[in-house]
Amino acid sequence: MSLNEVWEAASASPFQPIVPKDSQFFVGFNLLLVAVIFTGLFGLNRSFVSLASVGLPAAVLFGFGSVFMICAVGVYV
Amino acid sequence: MRFFTATVLGLLTSGVAAATNLTTPSRLALPADFKPPQVFKNTNLVRNTNLEKGYVRETVNVVVENVDKQPQTDYYIPFPTDVFERVGGFEVRDKKAAEKGRFKVDVTEAAPSSDNQYFIVHLPEPLAPKSQITLGISYSVLNSLSPRPATIQQSDKQYLAYTFSAYVPSAYQTLTQKTKVKFPSTNVPDYTTTSDLKTGTDPERKGATYTYGPYDTAKVAPGTKYPITVRYEFTNPVTTVNLLERDLEVSHWGGNLATEDRYWLRNNGSELSSQFSRVDWTFSNYQRAPTSAVREITYPLKPGSVDPYFIDDIGNISTSRYRPGNGKTAANLELKPRYPIFGGWNYSFKVGWNNDLAAFLRETTTPDSWVLKVPLIQGFKASEGVQYERVVVRVVLPEGAHNVRFQTVEGSSSNGLPGDNQIHASLSSYKTFMDTLGRTTLTLEVDSLTDEARDAELIVTYDYTFMDALRKPLTIFGGLISVFVAIWAIGNIDVSIKKR
Repeated sequence: MSLNEVWEAASASPFQPIVPKDSQFFVGFNLLLVAVIFTGLFGLNRSFVSLASVGLPAAVLFGFGSVFMICAVGVYV
Repeated sequence: MRFFTATVLGLLTSGVAAATNLTTPSRLALPADFKPPQVFKNTNLVRNTNLEKGYVRETVNVVVENVDKQPQTDYYIPFPTDVFERVGGFEVRDKKAAEKGRFKVDVTEAAPSSDNQYFIVHLPEPLAPKSQITLGISYSVLNSLSPRPATIQQSDKQYLAYTFSAYVPSAYQTLTQKTKVKFPSTNVPDYTTTSDLKTGTDPERKGATYTYGPYDTAKVAPGTKYPITVRYEFTNPVTTVNLLERDLEVSHWGGNLATEDRYWLRNNGSELSSQFSRVDWTFSNYQRAPTSAVREITYPLKPGSVDPYFIDDIGNISTSRYRPGNGKTAANLELKPRYPIFGGWNYSFKVGWNNDLAAFLRETTTPDSWVLKVPLIQGFKASEGVQYERVVVRVVLPEGAHNVRFQTVEGSSSNGLPGDNQIHASLSSYKTFMDTLGRTTLTLEVDSLTDEARDAELIVTYDYTFMDALRKPLTIFGGLISVFVAIWAIGNIDVSIKKR
């Protein structure tokens, strides 16, 4: 099967980004905002419970938020 | 726990895994005293030489007969060693069944005892004794036109000279042959006339087409030369790209295909005999008079292209205009270099733009496998043609992409490219923003192309799983959670001064 046939066979499934280009800034900014708030909350109470309940979500949100934010400013990673 | 292990392993394993169908062009070494076996005969040969552009484009249609007693598959096409490296986009098809695609072609190394190097055409099916096949051979020869006179005034007409042999170079006996030369205009002040090759006038002229022959060459030994020189008006730039570096960067997170083309240009036309005059240039530019300088570069882009830029070593060049089209029609980027590029002058610049990835990328029927279809060189559009001495295309795939395969798209006519086995392909890793292992990069290197390859398309398939995609956010997550854990752990250390 030539690769052109692979391309034709895949015509029904074009690539869909998780977040469209127009929404990247909105999504990235909000994820980062929540991440910063959660980080602040963790800073106020640095217990293990706080680490699990606030620090962990903050790290996850910061991970995804920073990826979308860098895409939103034109550095497509 | 399994998720964590998979994540850690995923972060540590290399993205550049087993890759297939990557080629390194190899050349066949021939014995020192090699001569192609005389198993074929060219019954009739017609060569069309097109000089309408800044390079030579030739198509040779030849009826080949097997004169041996055994079926034969290998047809040798010779070129002088000094010309061989400048032959680009070499392609051979069955003239009567062009839609069946090109034939496999190998190239040979230069042998010290021979003036020739060969393209070896492998016929898909052995040609039976006394059978015939019509071959359609097409190729371009770069840098074979010389400006005569070599220096001109700024607003003078430019003339190019081209020398070739009236007898088409062939490894086999040819019974009859002729050459049709197509000029850009009827202004051909000098051309060789032959007196002893055929009866009647030679060449025969019809408008801008001159026909040398037909000649009865049954008794002429293969390889015999009869030099012909033509000199014709070509008041256009002979645009030569010494090097084109093209980057295509695929981003799944951003849903974006970023393209950047870096050009090193040169005009190989007549040089200026006196100093450049800005006043004369402004006059002729205002009148839109024909000129041997590169005045403007028009760059057609795919529909939906956004964020174009045009910069050179100094910085942004403001003399550019972008016509974005309406989303369905092609966009146009019109560039004016900082200065007109006259003969012998160089100019380097880069242009870049973004596209939505959805138009170029599809998910195949196999899960986590993707197929990308992108223009191979695209390049700018010029009626006088552009020749590319070397093209390096880098397809920067997402970090973690593996099992990379590529193919150029073949149609029923020439796509201006050599066969895939003549394209040097390699995989490497390219580190840039937010990368841990580096992005899988497919690099394709091709020599001697022309703007015939503008419409050529490249298809790349690769595997890229959801875990590969998560590498970036998980890396950042890992960094931040480590900081939090460190803060919590350090905060728990009791450093108070008291009696224990």
